Amino acid sequence: MKRSLILVALVAVLAIVLANVLDPRGYILRIVCLILLAATLGQCWNIVGGLANQISLGHAAFFGIGAYCSTVLQVKWGITPWLGIFAGMLLAMVAAFILSLPTMRLKGPYFALATLAFGEACRILATAMPGVTGGPQGISVPFVGDSWAMMQFKGAGNYVYLFAGLFVIVSIVFALLAYGKMGYLLRAVRENEEAAEVSGVNTLRVKLIGSLISAALTAATGTLFAQFTFFFDPESVFSVAHISIHAALIAIVGGVGTLAGPIIGALLIVPLEELLTTYFSNDAAGIAPFIFGLILVAVVILRPRGLVSIFGRRRGRPSGLQQRDAPPADPAFMAKKRAGAES
Amino acid sequence: MSALIQTLVDGVLIGGVYGVIAVGLSLVFGVLKIVNFAQAEFLMIGMYAGWFAWAHLGLDPIVGAFLALLIGFALGALCQRLFVQHILNAPAVAQIFLTVGLLTVLENGALLLFGSDFRTVRTPYQTIALELGPIFLSVPYLVAFVAAVAMSVLLFLLLNRTWLGRAIRATSQDRDAACLFGIDTRLIYTIAFGLGTGLTAFGGGIILSYAAVSPTAGAQFVVLMFTVVVLGGLGSVMGALVGGVIVGVIQSVSTLFMPIQLQNLVLFIVFITALAFWPQGLLGRAAR
Repeated sequence: MKRSLILVALVAVLAIVLANVLDPRGYILRIVCLILLAATLGQCWNIVGGLANQISLGHAAFFGIGAYCSTVLQVKWGITPWLGIFAGMLLAMVAAFILSLPTMRLKGPYFALATLAFGEACRILATAMPGVTGGPQGISVPFVGDSWAMMQFKGAGNYVYLFAGLFVIVSIVFALLAYGKMGYLLRAVRENEEAAEVSGVNTLRVKLIGSLISAALTAATGTLFAQFTFFFDPESVFSVAHISIHAALIAIVGGVGTLAGPIIGALLIVPLEELLTTYFSNDAAGIAPFIFGLILVAVVILRPRGLVSIFGRRRGRPSGLQQRDAPPADPAFMAKKRAGAES
Repeated sequence: MSALIQTLVDGVLIGGVYGVIAVGLSLVFGVLKIVNFAQAEFLMIGMYAGWFAWAHLGLDPIVGAFLALLIGFALGALCQRLFVQHILNAPAVAQIFLTVGLLTVLENGALLLFGSDFRTVRTPYQTIALELGPIFLSVPYLVAFVAAVAMSVLLFLLLNRTWLGRAIRATSQDRDAACLFGIDTRLIYTIAFGLGTGLTAFGGGIILSYAAVSPTAGAQFVVLMFTVVVLGGLGSVMGALVGGVIVGVIQSVSTLFMPIQLQNLVLFIVFITALAFWPQGLLGRAAR
């Protein structure tokens, strides 16, 4: 844990140093921002996906809610995103609560499917309400020039501070959740929900708190994204491929359920994506997601604990995708397990 | 009134096709206990197979659909052997993201190979409709519906009247017992997965006369397929058909009183509600 926190500090400090030495409008700082954004998003997903094993494929819903909430407040009433960000977080928590009512007891693929449908429903709603959201044409953040009060700048330079700040906050929240009392509860739910319930863990409450925190932080990330790109539409912020799956991809490639995982994932995925889109964008659309899909398949099959496992010793708490509850190729065990499940 | 009947008829015709598309998913889950997120991509692959058969061999999409069935079977069996086999006992998160990874690879692979153009076929019966009193039966819908029902009957016979079908059902019920009775369950897994993806590809082939194919054609069907399967009950051929018809009718009736872009919203809400309230009855025991 200590080494992971050092990694968090190192990444944040390095980003801020770069922001001070490099050209604030340069390409490299843009990449730095995107890396921090991706790491933050991956970490938000990791709170529910990694700690509580609630595999969400709908985090784009909260991301989009954050982006739209702050931007609509600015467009309609000129409210600063510093307030809008909290409005977005609140709305995302309400959405997460509503979603949790029907989905709280679902597991594994069923939870994933329900969240997938929820994210898509949000995208359709945003498209179908042109009066509020601008509809499929998208919406622009009103431009006022460099302004800390309105959280917007001409170059990427100052955004590094914002993204680094949120990155550190989300990392600390994750560390507190993972290594505090809540972490034990979340892990208990992940390892064996029935056993946790019997031991007196209020599993529904634990999962609900986890998903509310994750939703709020994802919405905050969405607000920063909106301020950073100035223009977005339902297809981009509610995208299954570019937000929901991407968030999970970053956490899984790095290492599910670990603090360092999404950071390592983002450091690998974002530069790779930039390289691929720069070199191939015109000749081969789709090359970047194609390769990411291959990476995802390869990681799941070859290195289920993520890239963290290359650096880390096998010390500490187990995490990631490794097999835990079902030793493979043990028919007797599987039969017993199935008999147990059916009784 | 006739508008309502017309909508219902359209819904049933479209829904029958949803049934054959989703029955493949149901089969894969029933036998391998894997929720295959990449299943809808085989619909897209089937549509491309049908399109190329039409464009280069001059085959009608319904005939091309049988070619799609073969290609879907071969590709699916290959995917199962290369990838899915490794994660049969893995935790849910690995199973989900392996198939999500496959989904991404297949969709973007198609984009790289075929470009993002929408492709359509032309058939002599494409614009014809039969008049039955006040309602019209669109011939391409009708042809696709008949093909879907015929294929479902064939599948039903395969599963219930042949040795292979019994082996598949046995493996689905109890893998270890099936193994003890001399069934090569690894082979059955490959065949069942291939059969599932092949059937979905066949569904792609038969809708080609009224739907355009593009690399994202499959992605639009992901939630729809799962809705059909959840409503109809997993593993059952008839269930998938019934679920398909229900979804088709919901879709077409919702257009009566809602803007068309909200059509899928209704579907998603039905899906989440169905998952929440009838996971046991309709999805089997695994949903607990």
